[in-house]
Amino acid sequence: MGGLYDEPEEVSEFGFVKTETLTGYGTVYINTSVYANWVYLDFAEAETVTVDMTAGDPEPGQWDMAVHRYDVKTNGGSAAMTSWTDIVKFEDSGDMPDDAAFVSDIMTDDVIAIDMSGMMQGNIVYAEDWYNPELSRWLDVDTSTMPPIYTKSDNVFVLRLPDGRDIAIRLDNYMDGNGTKGYMTIQYKTLTGEVEL
Amino acid sequence: MRIPVIKSILASLMLVFASEAADAQYVVKGRVTDKGNVPLAGAGIVVRGLQGTGTVADSEGRYELEIPDSEPHVITVSFVGFMTQSRTVRPDRENDGDFALEENPVSLNEVVVTGTRTPKVLMDAPITTRVISDLDIARSDAANIQDLLITELPGIEFTFSMDQQVNVNLQGFGGSSVLFLIDGERIAGETLDNVDYNRLNLDNIQRIEIVKGGASSLYGSNAVGGVVNLITRDQTEPWSVNLRARYGAHNEQRYEGSAGFSAGKVSNSVNVQMTSTDTYDVGGEGDFNTVYGNRVLSLKDRLVYAPVEGLKLTGRIGYYQRERDADALVKDRYRDVSGGLKARYEIGGDGDAELSYSYDEYNKSDFMVNTGSDVLNYSNVQHNIRALFNWHFGKTGTLTAGGDFMNDYLKSYQFEDGGSYSQMTADCFAQFDWNVVKGFNVTGALRYDYFSEKSLHSVSPMLGLMYRIDSEKAGHFAFRGSYAKGFRAPTLKEMYMSFDMASIFMIYGNPDLLSEVSHNFTLSAEYFKKYFNVTVSGYFNMVRNGITTVWNQELNSMRYANEAPSNIAGADVTFSMHLPCGFGTRLAYTFSHEYTVDGSPSMSTARPHSLTARVEYGREWKRYGFNLSLSGRYLSGFSTHVYASTDFETLTLQKYPGYTIWKLMLTQDIWKGISINMIVDNLFNYRPDYYYSNSPVTVGTTFAAGLSLAIGEMFRK
Repeated sequence: MGGLYDEPEEVSEFGFVKTETLTGYGTVYINTSVYANWVYLDFAEAETVTVDMTAGDPEPGQWDMAVHRYDVKTNGGSAAMTSWTDIVKFEDSGDMPDDAAFVSDIMTDDVIAIDMSGMMQGNIVYAEDWYNPELSRWLDVDTSTMPPIYTKSDNVFVLRLPDGRDIAIRLDNYMDGNGTKGYMTIQYKTLTGEVEL
Repeated sequence: MRIPVIKSILASLMLVFASEAADAQYVVKGRVTDKGNVPLAGAGIVVRGLQGTGTVADSEGRYELEIPDSEPHVITVSFVGFMTQSRTVRPDRENDGDFALEENPVSLNEVVVTGTRTPKVLMDAPITTRVISDLDIARSDAANIQDLLITELPGIEFTFSMDQQVNVNLQGFGGSSVLFLIDGERIAGETLDNVDYNRLNLDNIQRIEIVKGGASSLYGSNAVGGVVNLITRDQTEPWSVNLRARYGAHNEQRYEGSAGFSAGKVSNSVNVQMTSTDTYDVGGEGDFNTVYGNRVLSLKDRLVYAPVEGLKLTGRIGYYQRERDADALVKDRYRDVSGGLKARYEIGGDGDAELSYSYDEYNKSDFMVNTGSDVLNYSNVQHNIRALFNWHFGKTGTLTAGGDFMNDYLKSYQFEDGGSYSQMTADCFAQFDWNVVKGFNVTGALRYDYFSEKSLHSVSPMLGLMYRIDSEKAGHFAFRGSYAKGFRAPTLKEMYMSFDMASIFMIYGNPDLLSEVSHNFTLSAEYFKKYFNVTVSGYFNMVRNGITTVWNQELNSMRYANEAPSNIAGADVTFSMHLPCGFGTRLAYTFSHEYTVDGSPSMSTARPHSLTARVEYGREWKRYGFNLSLSGRYLSGFSTHVYASTDFETLTLQKYPGYTIWKLMLTQDIWKGISINMIVDNLFNYRPDYYYSNSPVTVGTTFAAGLSLAIGEMFRK
């Protein structure tokens, strides 16, 4: 039955894999499978930087949001979920969530798990770190069963940055071409503010 | 005055006719067949109250019976293994003399093959065999083996394991210890130790034979806790076309079509089955609350060619696919291609030899909704060659000998880098079924199995004794006792797994695993008289080196290991009755008790008590028939040790509740070959307070309806 199947789509390139400079529309593909890592995204420069927390690496000088596994933090920003599931249609609608709907990051010490090796002895190591509960709603991971149940939100989120930029964010996939989880495909569109690219 | 005159004239006229009629005769003729229109040669036809008036059906089932007077009479048709039928015949009209007899569901005249690998009448089978007939299947409303077994066999459960994959639990024995076969052939592929039960659809299945306990002396690895063998129907009709449809809750749809012909030396049958059901929420708290929908397509074709007398060639091909909606972005796909060739040659009247080749390829893939790519991540391919030989030494006994040679290839996402392994297995076996004296039988068997990967081998003996007493008045008794070894060689998966579990821990295989072994002792007594059957059996199973995953502190991971020895003791009691008036019942009860030998906490999943029951009433007329059945099951609650949710080192005691669930079904045969089913499932609206992985998957009372058309029947007289 070999002829029935396709080769897995191998994307060797990580980072901003597709960017349209004029419109600020693009796709980011990042490997977030490692618990110890934050992957920082800089939408202005279209750059990603992976930082190993356990190695004590510093965070980059300029960044907008960061992803750890499926958790998100923002660089002093806030986020809100829209009822739209298509970025282009959302932008065309001009239908921005109320200011009150935007949720800022919170400091946590029981969310960002950096070492799972002791989980079966009831010993998970967490990092003390910022976490944006609103934007993290893009993927619900129910770990009450094994394997966990993943429920992706189709909705478009708005990331509001301190410099006035609004960026529409939508999670397209959380798996690679083989179905391995921990590989995030993120669609984005810079809505307001200067597009430097 | 005028009225009495007319009255007296009428009375005298009637007397004249009556005296003339006293000497007259009339003839009733027709054909006696089974429900499938197969002639019942030798069926007896008698006239109730007229001793000496009777005849016997010929080889085509035809008969002609002369009634010596011109009175209405009741004629009775009977045949061994079938329910007796009676009908009133009258001299003044054309009588319908055709009888289609229903098989006696409690008789033990069915031929079974699983226990000895050679056809044997159930009552004479040295190994206790439970048969689920085609009639049972039709009246169970089941789409696949899973639905059927839970209504027919107490002590069996199908529960959810991880990721809502289905796991069989036969009195504590799981999927890798219960061997499922189709016409004696193994089934490739597994998910969490269980074959794909959706593959085992019941379309075109003649009967299912179940042998509990070890049976490795004939079937080799995996026959530790029992063997379930699905036997395909032979095409006997010159032509047939059957269509069936069923619609139930959660948009559950089932369509089946089969067509067949039998002409001279060639017969062929083709079957198609499509089922689908939507994803739905059970609407309650639990280990699961969404039940994933799926779509199944299954195609089978079977061609039989008998070029010369005594030689039968059978070819078969099959295709199966299932898509499961477990995730919005990735659909789980399961596919299978199977095929087989078999040549069977009758050596005079004393023996037969069989040579067969069978191929089975079972694949799993992920269908990526976003990109449309379908990525293969699991493939199990089995090639098997078998030789089987039977020789009958008159009435003294039968020698059965044979051997298999199999190549087993496995590529899996659970191996490092999605790699593959393969191994050869070879075996030979011999069995002698010896009728020592009338009524006393001794059957002994021995099998040797070899597995190339780690040069593992196993020797599996079996000894069965049976004593039978037959009495016209008292009925038939059969007493059986047996010892059988069961074993299960570690699979390639269990030896070489290297699987990253959600990036949390690894599960590793263990190449040094020993084979799992069971020693089974069974004693049973069976009683059968006309319409009643009672069977009582007790058994004791010693399970050694059971293979399971345990937390390995050194590796900080799960790893396959042999577990502590355990014993399972139990008893089965079955009562069935089917009366000619149309009333029937069947009650089956099972008790199981599993315990560890070293006193370590038991993690047994066997429920101590379980019961299945069916009560039915049916009647049949020329153009209309009905059967109303109420069937149900009861499973007792139990407590067992489970790993605490926080880690794999602490055990906690978990209590699972018992439950009972019932189904009401009305089948109506409204015209030749047309029948309608109406089903009320979960009649008493049982809903679990909490949906455990072993709770019944139900949302309460639901309704379903089905239609069945046997088009060939419509054209037959």
